[in-house]
Amino acid sequence: MFDIEVLLPDLREILSAVPLTLAMALAVFVLSTIVGSLFAMVEYRRIPVLRQLVVAYKVAFKGVPMVVVIFLAYYGLPATLQFLASLFGIDYNGHATPNWVTLIVALTACVAAFQAEIVKGALNSFERGQADAAYSLGYRKSQLFRRVMLPQVIVAAIPDLANSFMVIMKALSLGFAIEVVDIFAQAQLTAALNFYYLEAFLVAVAIYMVIAYAVTQIADRTERALRVRT
Amino acid sequence: MDLSIMIPELLSALPLTLAITFTAMVAGFVLALIATTLRIRRAPLIAQLADIYVSYARSVPVVLQLFVAFYGLPVLVAGFGIDDFVSPTIAAMLGLSLYHGGYLSEVMRPAYLAVERGQHDAADSLGYTFGQKLLRVVAPQAVHVALPGYGNAIIYLVHNVALVMYIGAADVMATAHLVMERDYNQYQFETYLVLAVLYSVLCLLAWLIVRFFELRSAKFGASAAPARTTLMASV
Repeated sequence: MFDIEVLLPDLREILSAVPLTLAMALAVFVLSTIVGSLFAMVEYRRIPVLRQLVVAYKVAFKGVPMVVVIFLAYYGLPATLQFLASLFGIDYNGHATPNWVTLIVALTACVAAFQAEIVKGALNSFERGQADAAYSLGYRKSQLFRRVMLPQVIVAAIPDLANSFMVIMKALSLGFAIEVVDIFAQAQLTAALNFYYLEAFLVAVAIYMVIAYAVTQIADRTERALRVRT
Repeated sequence: MDLSIMIPELLSALPLTLAITFTAMVAGFVLALIATTLRIRRAPLIAQLADIYVSYARSVPVVLQLFVAFYGLPVLVAGFGIDDFVSPTIAAMLGLSLYHGGYLSEVMRPAYLAVERGQHDAADSLGYTFGQKLLRVVAPQAVHVALPGYGNAIIYLVHNVALVMYIGAADVMATAHLVMERDYNQYQFETYLVLAVLYSVLCLLAWLIVRFFELRSAKFGASAAPARTTLMASV
């Protein structure tokens, strides 16, 4: 029942999906970190109304499974895009939106809620005393942020950010429902051709675990290297 | 679209979703206890196996874990001479139990380690066995530390039960697909909105229950601060 001979061809086939998956994960990671940081800044600065909106957003996106969000985006996003485009007088056929764009938007929306939490945690780990010291030395607010806060906050956030990158990698596997081919979907396609399902999926498992190991190693090294300097 | 018809229909599949959730909760808890104990005691080889198991559960997408359970279980039971009993529901329960166990182990271990080193030493010097130490000294304090992380784990488990439809279990999501197809796929967006509300309510309930225990355990005045929980979702 279990055939070892198909493992190698399967591996070659499935590996071909790795670069694209990593690229999509990176895109979601960057976008969601930007959005999440904005949310975190809103909460950190305690901007009235916006703050409540951010909290509501976070509650909403934490309670709903990502599959459901992806399907909502799949059915709702094209029409929304078309409507938004028509507001600006652009003639855009929303239903021509490629599925990978939908997936990236949906995952960004989900992950941003968690990234906001991570960035907020990192911001809160920053000691107020250092801010006082910087102000007493005549730093401006922007200088304080750039020279004192940012270097420490980034280092504090590295382990969580690495974790969230892995979560994004895993979340991309839900894209197969809307025909986006990542590692998992490629494993399914490969298996569907030769009917060796378990073998293809185990190869995919191995690939995911190796990537996870690599990501943790890179994060650990970066964190250690940066800690020495600061 | 008639909500008064659709909602009861969706709710009719809720027992299966809840059954899978509870099975995974219980079995996952036991698995997590075993895995955590093995990882803490660091017996050679077995501890490494437990480590690999935990990293499997944490770094492989849950959909993939479900498929591995679905296709792997028949091969496994065929090895014992049983064939053809595996249903998608059983595979879903097994897959999610494995996932939940691994995830939970990563909640339990930090909680165990968060209990002060001195207390471990004190218990050891008083001649407590590992089991006694765990039960009488470490667990009462670790529970308080672990509860927020446990709440997250439960919420993500509820979320991930939504994925069992891909291996063919007839849970709420699968029923929703049936409902949508019957209406000639006119109301897909609306149906998913209803699902979103349904899952939010489920998660809210789960969170409230865990929160209740959190407040209760806080009463016992455990001094250890709650461990930093992982803030990320788990898919």
